[in-house]
Amino acid sequence: MVLITCLSNVAAQVGVGRIMGGSKFHYPVGQPELRPEEELQWRVSLLAKGLNALETPVRESTTF
Amino acid sequence: MVKVLHYLNQFFAGIGGEDKAGQEVLFINHPLGAGAIIQDALKGHDVEYATLVCGDNYFHEEEDKALQAIQAAVEKFKPDFVLAGPAFNAGRYGLACAKLCSWAREHWRIPAITAMHEDNPGTREIGRHVFVIQTGPSAAAMKESVKLFSLLIERLLANDEPAIENFRLEHCLPIPRRFTVRSDAPDYVRAADLLLAKLNGQPYESEIPYVEARQHPIPNLLGDLKDATLALVTEGGLVPKGNPDRLESSRGSKYLKYPIAGRADLKRGDFEAMHTGYDTSTVNQDPDRIVPLDAMRVLEKAHRFKKLHEYYYVTTGTGAMPTKMEEIGAGIAQELVLAGINGVILTAT
Repeated sequence: MVLITCLSNVAAQVGVGRIMGGSKFHYPVGQPELRPEEELQWRVSLLAKGLNALETPVRESTTF
Repeated sequence: MVKVLHYLNQFFAGIGGEDKAGQEVLFINHPLGAGAIIQDALKGHDVEYATLVCGDNYFHEEEDKALQAIQAAVEKFKPDFVLAGPAFNAGRYGLACAKLCSWAREHWRIPAITAMHEDNPGTREIGRHVFVIQTGPSAAAMKESVKLFSLLIERLLANDEPAIENFRLEHCLPIPRRFTVRSDAPDYVRAADLLLAKLNGQPYESEIPYVEARQHPIPNLLGDLKDATLALVTEGGLVPKGNPDRLESSRGSKYLKYPIAGRADLKRGDFEAMHTGYDTSTVNQDPDRIVPLDAMRVLEKAHRFKKLHEYYYVTTGTGAMPTKMEEIGAGIAQELVLAGINGVILTAT
């Protein structure tokens, strides 16, 4: 599991294994100031990074 | 005259086992099982003791009917005390005891006493001001638990507030709930006092008990991501427009799943977020900003992983008890495991 959140310190405190910083607290996987095509591109790259994290074995709480 | 009404399941009333779990509510005008011991312990008072018996399955399958029958019995008998259990670690029984006691206390202001083990799921349904005597996990703790029922009744009859409070501290389960209490200073003064104590290196204690997060082992992906089926999960409260299943916007009590098979993205106007913990307007403009379906479809097409699960899962992660959230998380995880899901992307606000 990969958690995408803006509260990564809280996530680490409770022991989440894979943590990724999101964009904003109220839209962790959004970038509303971008044009829709650019926003999708940005989101794809964020999720691609998330999938890399998912593939990475971890033993303790790790922020990617 | 002291009137005691005691609720027992079919087993502890001596009616039968699982075969009698469908037993309807029975009103019996004398004590049964543990009730006989409690009545005996109260023999110094003029006690009228009656028993309500109900099958464990009947209570849950026909809860409205069961409560109606219980209400009729309460209105007829007019008890001064409602007792239920002890339920030890019996889940269905514990839930029935908790609901009945909470209901009796709430509707009739009758002192309500039950008893169960701390792991009994009934502890999550306990309402305000219900006494929950702590017991061992099994009926081996019967004798001791029953003694405590009569001890508490004695103290309640004597209206001995300090003794009742001592009893609560010593023998009752601490039910983590929020109550209104009076204090001698307003919150901003207490907050400033706490901060000053901290800055001055003096001892201080938070008014909100710190709940230590239970640590769990971290699972790693088994096998290759290329062969993995992945699921999207969020605590951001995203539901179909109109919130058909009434997900709470705060203090969520459940999780839901919604189909995304055949969808390339989540369209504005089709979904909305139920969540008082964040400003949902940006997510409502484009729900992919909380459940990133469009991006996952692109990566799925690129064969970065095998397949996206046909449902996304959602709850509301604000204002809720950690124990409830743990239960919700475990429920989602179990469903995903049964569906053969290999990995999860969880988005949180």
